[in-house]
Amino acid sequence: MYAKLYKYRWQYLMILPGAVLLFLFNYIPMAGVQVAFRDFQLGTSIWNSPWVGMDNFEFVHEPQFWTVVRNTLYISVLKFVFGFPAPIVLALLINEVKHSPFKRFVQSVSYLPHFFSWIVVAYMLQSFLTLDGGLVNDLIGKMGGEPVFFLGSAEWFRPIVVTSGLWKETGWNTILYLAAITTIDPQLYEAAKVEGAGRWAQIRHITLPGIVPTISIVLILSIPSLITAGLDQIYPLMNSANMDVSDVLDTYVLRSGLQQGYFGMSTAVGLLSSVISLLLVLGTNWMSRKLNGEGLW
Amino acid sequence: MKRPWREKFAYGAIVVLLALLCVSVLYPFLYMLAISLNEGSDAAKGGVYIWPRSFTLINYEVVLGNEVIRHAYLITIGRTILGTVGGLFVTLLVAFGLSYRKLPLRRAILAYILITMLFNGGLVPFYIQLNNLHLLNTFWVFIIPGLFSAWNMFVMIKFIQGIPEALFESSELDGAGPVRTLLTIVVPLSKPMLAALGLFTAVGHWNDWFAGAFYVTDQSLIPVQTFLQQLLSAQDISAVLGSNSNQEALARSSMQNITLMSIKMAVVMVSAIPILCVYPFLQRYFVKGVLIGSVKG
Repeated sequence: MYAKLYKYRWQYLMILPGAVLLFLFNYIPMAGVQVAFRDFQLGTSIWNSPWVGMDNFEFVHEPQFWTVVRNTLYISVLKFVFGFPAPIVLALLINEVKHSPFKRFVQSVSYLPHFFSWIVVAYMLQSFLTLDGGLVNDLIGKMGGEPVFFLGSAEWFRPIVVTSGLWKETGWNTILYLAAITTIDPQLYEAAKVEGAGRWAQIRHITLPGIVPTISIVLILSIPSLITAGLDQIYPLMNSANMDVSDVLDTYVLRSGLQQGYFGMSTAVGLLSSVISLLLVLGTNWMSRKLNGEGLW
Repeated sequence: MKRPWREKFAYGAIVVLLALLCVSVLYPFLYMLAISLNEGSDAAKGGVYIWPRSFTLINYEVVLGNEVIRHAYLITIGRTILGTVGGLFVTLLVAFGLSYRKLPLRRAILAYILITMLFNGGLVPFYIQLNNLHLLNTFWVFIIPGLFSAWNMFVMIKFIQGIPEALFESSELDGAGPVRTLLTIVVPLSKPMLAALGLFTAVGHWNDWFAGAFYVTDQSLIPVQTFLQQLLSAQDISAVLGSNSNQEALARSSMQNITLMSIKMAVVMVSAIPILCVYPFLQRYFVKGVLIGSVKG
């Protein structure tokens, strides 16, 4: 046994740095979840902090927590309802294009926004929506309307989040669907043409069924995101004017933990949301096993 | 073939729709560029849509002449290079070690890695660990926690296992150990894969504002994206013009018709232009990177 291990000593040595990094930055924080049940202060040892039972979970009695939960669900469900079908539709449209340089151009351009940060997107929104000469208010003014302070209003927050999310990720999310479409047997289309099927019939009866497996995988993988509304996107757009609708679980954890120092309570919120997302994953996997006969694992 | 006119019409509509989509992706960059090249107080009157009306380079002079921004740029470049090279190095070592199918304990090590993809301790325990390791408020907090990527490792393993077995065998017959096999066989053959994964890692570093915003407080350590994030909610222009000669700078800026918005647009363009410039040449690698990881599996 030792001889065998010794034979592979170089391989183990190569694996070691990665394994140590995972231990330090993944496993220790996993063990650190116990902070949710302790009274912990930064700078002291987690292990010596007193146990406090469920005290850190008192937040469930606060109305603000439930506002945050509602905001999270509202935003993530809206993003899902628009963001899930959009790339499928776009992939089908791109696939219809016969002129291949144009097709490649559309693909390249539609992937582009994925490579910019949400901070850059926030600047874009500011430049378009500002009251001082921004394009949108400029046009509203020319048509005789009253300027709207979009970024400082609660009712415009959700539409802005959904639209900017679509703008940034729809193109990129078509990649998997377009790749799946290329694996469909061209003979199927030939046969359909012989039988007189038009383009629409071909999409409905060949292309769509051909990408159903991809659609269902993407669907399952996107379920856990239903309780994370997207910190990266929301944090830059958040301000005191839209706080009532923009404060989500992630920003709540960030604020109460890293900024206000309530480590126990914010870890408890985080723990609760990861347990829910784990249940969601297990639930969808169970459902897909019932429906399709196979799960993800 | 029954109603060709109808399909022709639909085809035309699709092409127009996709062309509009491309415009909607590209136009915001053009708009921001126009604002950044226009006198601020003039742009605030509205009406600058595509072309600067009152052309000036003063916004860029202010931005590029600013010590804080230049320093933030150095931090971004430094972490992008170090983080990408180091990350590829550490991850490739692990992937290569684990690509030996006969390695004892291989399955256990893979499980050890897979678990970290499914569970995590959440933001706050991670933050506590960064504090315990004295990484907070150092440059290394941008590099070390992200060196090993489980996702990239699985892509690499899949790729390495696709290399013909005979090449490894002949290398071993030549008396080469694992280190030499890695350098002479795996690395040269993996260049496209390494390029694709390296690009994703680099873009991730370039765009990350979160670590700079919450893991460091020292202003001399913040990367460009964090600078942008702080500037996003700035109320007046002194945030960009530096603090030492505030009054003088403010007076000068009003003389030269600089506004906060025009400066903001110049900063964001300075951060976006490098990506806009390399993207057309590298986008096929990006697409390849996604597809290596998902579809072929």
